[in-house]
Amino acid sequence: MGSLTFKTYLEELKKHTPYNFCEYSDNSIQRRIEKVLNDHKIDMEELLYLTKTDEAFVENLVDEITVNTTELFRNPETWEYLYSKILPSLKSKNTINIWHAGCSTGQEVYSNLILLNELGLLDKARVVASDINQKVIRSSKKAEYSISTNVTYIEAYKDLMKRVKPDANDFEYYCDIDKNNDSFKFKDFLTEKVIFRRHDLVTEEIPFYQKFDIIFCRNVLIYFNQDLQMKIIKKFFDKLFDGGVLVLGNHEALHGFFKTRFIKHGMVYTKSSTFQFKYK
Amino acid sequence: MSTSRAKYYKGIVIGGSAGSFSIVSKILAHIKPDFKYPIIVCLHRLKHIRSGLLEGLNLKSNLQVVEPFDKDSIEGGKVYLAPSNYHLFVEYDSTISLSTEEVNNHSRPSIDYTFSSAATTYREKMVGIILTGANRDGAMGMFEVHKKNGYTIVQDPVTCDVDTMPKSALQLFTPDEVLSPEGIIDFLNKL
Repeated sequence: MGSLTFKTYLEELKKHTPYNFCEYSDNSIQRRIEKVLNDHKIDMEELLYLTKTDEAFVENLVDEITVNTTELFRNPETWEYLYSKILPSLKSKNTINIWHAGCSTGQEVYSNLILLNELGLLDKARVVASDINQKVIRSSKKAEYSISTNVTYIEAYKDLMKRVKPDANDFEYYCDIDKNNDSFKFKDFLTEKVIFRRHDLVTEEIPFYQKFDIIFCRNVLIYFNQDLQMKIIKKFFDKLFDGGVLVLGNHEALHGFFKTRFIKHGMVYTKSSTFQFKYK
Repeated sequence: MSTSRAKYYKGIVIGGSAGSFSIVSKILAHIKPDFKYPIIVCLHRLKHIRSGLLEGLNLKSNLQVVEPFDKDSIEGGKVYLAPSNYHLFVEYDSTISLSTEEVNNHSRPSIDYTFSSAATTYREKMVGIILTGANRDGAMGMFEVHKKNGYTIVQDPVTCDVDTMPKSALQLFTPDEVLSPEGIIDFLNKL
C-alpha cells in the first residue's frame, strides 16, 4: 500500500472534498478503501490524486465506500412492533413527523408509509428522508424495484399483515407492476408524501427545522466509531420530541452516556424526558 | 503434541459452515470454564430463519455465548457469535463492529471478513481455526491470518462433514496444525 496509510488518505479526503470519513470504524473503512483500490486497480497514491482532481470520481467513491444494503420490511418483528405499539400511539397528533436518516434506496421509507396507510395515518404523516449518497436518493425518489429480488420481502409484508391486520390491502395495491421488466414502482400517493434530500449526517447541520416523533437510522451508525456515534445520537436526541422514538438496526445499541437518555421499549428507543439534558 | 508459538493471545477466531454447528457446540461443551481468551465465532446460516443457533450453542457451552451488538467490547472468556445477516469485524480498540455490506461468496456473515479483520487487529496474537464447510468463504481470511503470523489450525478434512472449506484453506497455505475436533479442544485447553 506504499507509505500513504488509509488514515492519512482520509485526512486528505477531508481536506479536499466535502466528505469526512475520518471517524468511521477503522477496520471496516480500511476494508472499503482496499476494495476500491482493488476494483479500480489503483494504489493509494493514485487514489489520492484522483480524489484531489476528479469530482465525479469522488461522488462515485462515496457510492462505493458507503453501504447501501436495505430491504422492504427488514426485520419484520421491528415493523410489527411499530405497527402495533408505536404508530397507533401517535393517532391523537395533528401531524406525525418522521425522518429516515440514511434512507439508502428507500425501501424502509415505503415500508413505513404502507403501515401508516394501513392505520389510516398517512394523511397526518410528514416524512423526510436523507442519505449522503446522491445516487441512492435518486433511486429512492424513483421508487422502482425488481420483483425477483423482493419476493421474500413482499412475503414478509403478507405474513406481517396476517398477524396484525388480516383485512389489509394487498401489497399490489401500493404499486404498479411491470412483470415484463421484472419491476414494480410504488404509486404516487406514497412517493409524493416524502421529501428526499441529500444530506451528510457527519459534516452538515440537520437541514430540517421541525422536531420528530420518529427517527429511523438503521444500520448506519455501525459504520461510525463510538465517538462519532455519540455525536450523531446527540443530534437525534435534540431533534426528537420528548417520548419520540429512535429506530436503530437490530444489532445496534446505545452505549455510554445515551443509554440513560433513552429507554428501550421492545425494538425501539424512546427519548426520556426525566432528565435535564446537559451535554457538550 | 501441539504447542503454540505466542505466550498469550488476544483472541481465538473460529469459522465454519455446513456441519460446523455440532463441532463448535462440542468445542464449547468441552472447553475449560476458566478459558481466558475471547472466542469469536462466524458460522454461515440461513438468511431468513431465526435458527436458534445462539440458544443451541448456549445450551451446552461452558462459556457464555452472545450475539454482539455493534461496538460491544470484546472480553476474555466470552464467545461472540456473528449475528445473522451482519458481517463481524474486530476493531483495533478491541470492540466489534458490524456491517451489512454486500455478501461475500454468497455469505453474510462472511468468514473471510471476520478472519481478515481479526488478522489485521491481532496479528500474531491470534489463533484462527477453520472447520468443516461447503463454501470457499473462510479460506482467504485464514490465509490472511497465516500471512500476519497468526497461529492457524485447519480441521482435518477426514473428520469433516463437508471438506470444501478446509481443503480450500490447505490449498492456499500450510497451517500450523491440522487437527480433529478432539485435537482442537485439546489445543485450546492447553492455552
